[in-house]
Amino acid sequence: MLTALILIPLLGAIAIGLIPDPPAAPSRAKPIALITAAIALIESIYLATQYDVNNAGLQFVEAQTWITPIGLNYHLGLDGLSFPLVLLNTLLTVIAIYSTSDRIDRPKLYYALLLITSAGVAGAFLAQNLLLFILCFELELIPVYLLIAIWGGEKRGYAGTKFLLYTALSGILILASFLVVAWIGGDFISFDYADISTAHLDLQTQLIALTLLLVGLGIKIPLVPLHTWSPDAYVESSPPIAILLGGVLAKMGTYGLIRFGLELFPETWTLVAPGLAVIGAISVMYGSLAAIAQRDIKRMVAYSSIGHMGYILVAIAAGTELSVLGGIAQMVAHGLILALLFNLVGLVEEKTGTRDLDALNGLLNPIRGLPLVSTLLITAGMASAGIPGMVGFAAEFLVFQGSFSVFPIQTLICILSSGLTAVYFVILLNRTCFGKLDNSLAYYDRVTLPERLPAIILVAIVVIFGLQPNWLVRWMEPTSARFVAALPANEMAIPAIGQGLSPEFTPPIASLPQPLTAPSLAHRD
Amino acid sequence: MAHLLSQNVWLIPCYALIGATLALPWSPGLVRRTGPRPAGYINVLLSVMALVHSLGALLDVWGQSAITESFVWLDAAGLTITLDLEASSLTLGACVVIASLNLLAQLYAIAYLEMDWGWARFYSLMGLFEAGLCFLVLCNSLFFSYVILEILTLGTYLIVGFWYNQSLVVTGARDAFLTKRVGDLVLLMGVVALLPIAGTWNFTDLAEWAATANLNPTVATLLACALIAGPIAKCAQFPLHLWLDEAMEGPYPATILRNTLVVSTGAWVLIKIMPVIALSPFATQAMILTGAATAVGASAISIAQIDVKRVLSYLTSGYLGLVFIAIGVGASHAALMMLFVFVLGMALLVMGTGSIVLNNITQNLTQMGGLWVRRPVTGLCVAIGGLSILALPPLGGFWAIVPLADRLWQSEPSLLAVVLLTNTAIGISVARLFGLMFGGVVTDWTRRSPEGLWLLVLPTTGLAGIVLHVPVLFAAWEILPQMNTLAPSIGAIVTWSSLLGLAIGSVFYLAPTAQPPVTLVPQPLRDFLAYDFYTPQLYKLLVVGPVNQLSRFISWLDRYIIDGVVNFVGVAAVFSGESLKYNTSGRSQFYVLSIVLSIAVFVVIMGLPALRLISAGL
Repeated sequence: MLTALILIPLLGAIAIGLIPDPPAAPSRAKPIALITAAIALIESIYLATQYDVNNAGLQFVEAQTWITPIGLNYHLGLDGLSFPLVLLNTLLTVIAIYSTSDRIDRPKLYYALLLITSAGVAGAFLAQNLLLFILCFELELIPVYLLIAIWGGEKRGYAGTKFLLYTALSGILILASFLVVAWIGGDFISFDYADISTAHLDLQTQLIALTLLLVGLGIKIPLVPLHTWSPDAYVESSPPIAILLGGVLAKMGTYGLIRFGLELFPETWTLVAPGLAVIGAISVMYGSLAAIAQRDIKRMVAYSSIGHMGYILVAIAAGTELSVLGGIAQMVAHGLILALLFNLVGLVEEKTGTRDLDALNGLLNPIRGLPLVSTLLITAGMASAGIPGMVGFAAEFLVFQGSFSVFPIQTLICILSSGLTAVYFVILLNRTCFGKLDNSLAYYDRVTLPERLPAIILVAIVVIFGLQPNWLVRWMEPTSARFVAALPANEMAIPAIGQGLSPEFTPPIASLPQPLTAPSLAHRD
Repeated sequence: MAHLLSQNVWLIPCYALIGATLALPWSPGLVRRTGPRPAGYINVLLSVMALVHSLGALLDVWGQSAITESFVWLDAAGLTITLDLEASSLTLGACVVIASLNLLAQLYAIAYLEMDWGWARFYSLMGLFEAGLCFLVLCNSLFFSYVILEILTLGTYLIVGFWYNQSLVVTGARDAFLTKRVGDLVLLMGVVALLPIAGTWNFTDLAEWAATANLNPTVATLLACALIAGPIAKCAQFPLHLWLDEAMEGPYPATILRNTLVVSTGAWVLIKIMPVIALSPFATQAMILTGAATAVGASAISIAQIDVKRVLSYLTSGYLGLVFIAIGVGASHAALMMLFVFVLGMALLVMGTGSIVLNNITQNLTQMGGLWVRRPVTGLCVAIGGLSILALPPLGGFWAIVPLADRLWQSEPSLLAVVLLTNTAIGISVARLFGLMFGGVVTDWTRRSPEGLWLLVLPTTGLAGIVLHVPVLFAAWEILPQMNTLAPSIGAIVTWSSLLGLAIGSVFYLAPTAQPPVTLVPQPLRDFLAYDFYTPQLYKLLVVGPVNQLSRFISWLDRYIIDGVVNFVGVAAVFSGESLKYNTSGRSQFYVLSIVLSIAVFVVIMGLPALRLISAGL
C-alpha cells in the first residue's frame, strides 16, 4: 500500500517521459501528471479510512531487506506524525500541478520533476530506515534545484544554486550524524529506526551527533541564521514550486526534529532544548520583523514562513505532550496556509503583473479588481496571523499552551511575534486589497473559476479544521504522546488538567520565592 | 415551546451567523439580477428571529436559576476545552438588547446606506457582530471570550475599512485592528498563563478557585495585568483608546453597534474575571486608575472635538472609564446598570446625530447650527439620549450612577470626585453638542434639512421611547436603588454635578454670547485636548517608530550580513551566470565562509544553555 504512494508518482513521471506529445496540440504532460497525483491523493485518503486512530505505533508496515551489509532496508510505515504530512504532500502536489500555468515551457520535464519530488518527499515521510530517509531526502534535491533554476524568476540561477548548496550540506550533515550514531560503539544491526538507539553512546558523542543533526535539519526548516537560502528560493521559484517548497519540503526538517531528535536522543534532547527554544523564538521574531520591512509581497510571505516554522521548533523543544501535538498540528496548518498564500500571491502577480507593494492597490474593487482573490487573501492573511476560527489559531494555541509551562519567556516572545504577524499582513492587505484602484491601469484578465478553485478548497480546509480542530489533532495525538513518553525529563511537562499537580511540581514561572500552592482541582472531573 | 427555546440558546448566535452567510451571494458580481438589497432584508429577518428566540427564552428562565450547557470543542493531550454556555436572565437579557439594537441598526442602515453597493459586505459583518456579541454574553469561558474578542477585532478591521478606497479609512482600519490586537495578545498571554495555575477557564470555576487561591503576589499581579489589557483595548481606555477615534471612519450605522455594544464587551469580560483580578491589589488599583484617567481625560477631550463622531467616541471612552471604576471597586451590579443605560443612550445619540449628518453632509459641528426649527424630532431624540447618560433624575443614568456614588462616598471620596467631575464634563459635552447642532444660527450647511426617511426616524424615535422607559424597567426588575438606604443628599450632589455641566455648556453654546467660548481656553490646552493628548504622535514615537526601525535593521542585517558575504562582494552576478560551476569559481569560498559562520552562530546559541546545564552537573 505504502509503496504505491512512492511508486505512483514515479510511474507517472516515467509515463510523461515515454508518451510522446501529439504534434501541434497541447502537451499531454499536465493531464497525466494531474491524474497521477490525484490517484496518489485518493490512495492516501483511502489509507485514512483504514487508519486506526487509536494505535500509536506504525501501521501498514512494509519491510524488505535490501542491502544488508550497509544496513539499508526497504522499511516503510505510517504513524500519527507521518500520516498527516503524507496527506498534506499528496494534496499539495495535486494543487501545485493543477495551478501550474498551461503555457509553461518544456512541460514534460517540469511535470516529471515535480512528480519525482513528490515521490521523494513521500518516501522520506514513510521511511523507517535512516539510510532510506537520506536517500529520499536527496532524491528530491536535484529535481527541486532544476525546478527553481529552469522555471524560476529573474535570479533563478542564483537562488537555485544557493538552495542546492545549503540543502546538500544539510543532507551530508544529517547523514554524518546517522553514521556517528550507528557505527560508533554498540552492535550494529541495520539503519532501521527500530534497531538504532543512542543509549550506548556517551554524552559527548551524543551531543556531537545531535548537533550535526540539528544543523542539518535547521538548514532544511529553515532556522535563523541558516535560513538565507529560503527567501530567495521561495521568491524565485514559480508559485507551484513555492507551494511545495514551503508547504511540504520544509516540513521534512521539523519532521526530522521529532522523528530523530526526540526519538533517538531523548537524553540529550533536554540539554539542547533550552537553546533550541531560544533559536525558535529568535526565528519567529526575526522572520516577522524582516517581513515587515519587505516591499515584495512574495518575499513577505517567504519571511512569514520562517517565522511560523519557529513556533514548531519552540513546541518540539518544550517536549510536552500538548506542545508536540501542537507542533505537528502547526506543520499541517502552516503547510495549508502557506500554500494558500503562495497560490494567491501567484494569482495576483499573474493578473496584475507585479508583486510590488508600492504598485499594487485597491484589488478589492468589485468591477475591475480581483474581489474574490482579495477576499481569499484577507482570509489567508488572517489565518496566518492566528485569528481564531481558522486552523492557524488552533495549532498555535496548542503550541503556546503546551510550551508555556516549560519555556514561558520564549512562548511569550512567540505570542508577541504573532502580533507582528498581524502587522505585516495588515500592511500587505491594506496595500494590495484596500485603497483606490487606478482605473487607467487596471485592465486585468478575469480570474476564472478553475483558477480560484485551489484557493477555495484550501480556505475551506483551513476553516473547517479551525472550527473543529479535533478532526485534525485526533490523528496525531497517540503518536505525539508516545514520543513524549520516551523523554526522560517528563517531570518538566505540566501534568494534564484534572490529574492534579504533584507537590514537588514547580513550573518555571514560579521560580520565585514562594512555591505555588496548587488549588484544589479535585472537584473538577 | 418556551422551554424548548431556553434549552437551545446556542441557536441565538446562529441566526445572525446564518444571515451573514446568506448575505454573501449578493456580493458584487455574483447575484446580479436583484441588486444587493435582499442581503439586508434577509439579515433583518434573521435578527427578528434571534430577538424572538431570546425573548422567548428570557421569559422562560425569568426568575429561575441559570441553565448551563457544555460542548467539548477540543480534547487532546490532557487539554480539554469545553464550550460552556449559560442561559440566565442576565445573559438572555443581554441577548435581547443585542438583537434589538442590531435590528434597529440594520433598519437604520437600509435608509442610511440607501445608495451603497456594499450591502452584502455590510450586512454580513453586522450579522457577524451580532453573532459574536450574543455568543460572548452566553459563553461562560474565558478562552471563548478571548476567541470572540479576537474575531470581533477582525470584524472591526473589516467594517471600519468598509469604504476602503479612501486612504483615511484604510489607515483608520489598520490602527483600529492593530491597537485592539495588542490588547488581545496580552489577554492571550493571560489566558495561556492562567490555565496551568487555575486549571480552568470557566468563569464560575475561576471565581470559586480565586476565593481560595493562594498565589504568589508577583504572579498574581502579572496575570491580572495581562487579563486587564484585553478589556482596556476593547473599552478604548488609555493608552489604547485611539482606535475608537480612528474607527469613526467606518459607516455611521456600524457605529451604532461599535460605540455601544462592541466596546461594552470588554467591560462584560472584565466583570466576569474580576475575581481573578482581585487577587492582585496592585492590578485592581491600576485598573481603577486607568478608568479614572480615561474618564476625566476622554470626557475633557470630547469637549474639544469639532467632529460629531469624535465627540461621541471620546464620550464613550469617558463613560466606560466610569464603568471601569465601578468594576474596580467591586460594584459590578452598578456597572451592569451603567452599561445598560449607556448602551441605549449612546445608541440614541449616534442614531440622532447620524440622521443630521446624512442630510447636511457634514460631520463638522462648527458648520452646523439652528437645526432645532427644522429637525425638532431628531433634536428631541438627541437631547433624550444625551441627558439619559447623565446622572439626571428621573432618567436612567441617575439610577445607575447613584449606587456607585454612594459606595464611593463611604470608601473612596477621591474617586467620587472623579465620577462627579466626569459627569460634569459629560454634561458640558452633551450640552455643547446639542447647542452647536440645534442652537445658534442657521448656516449654509443647515439651510435645507428635512427630516429623513421613515426608516431613519422610526428606529430613532422608538429607541428614544425605550430610553425614557429605562427607570420603569429598573423598577419592574426591582433593581432601583432604595433611596432611604443611601447616604443622605448623595442624590442631590450627583444631580447638581450634572446640572452644573449642562449649565456651563448651555451658557456657552446654547445662549448667544458675544465672545466665542473657544477663546476662553488658552491655545496650548485647546490643542492638547483637540489633538487627543497628542496620542497619535506618542504611538509613533514609542511603538510604531521602534518597530519600524527594528524591522529595517533586521532586513538590513539579513541582506548584508547574514546573507551578505557573497552578495557584498558582488558574486551574485557570477552565480547567476555560472549556476552549477560554483565550486570552480574562486569567490564561492565566500559563500562557504558565510555558511560556516552561520552554522557557528547557530551552534553557539544552541549550545550555551546546554553547556550551562552540563557544567551545573546536570
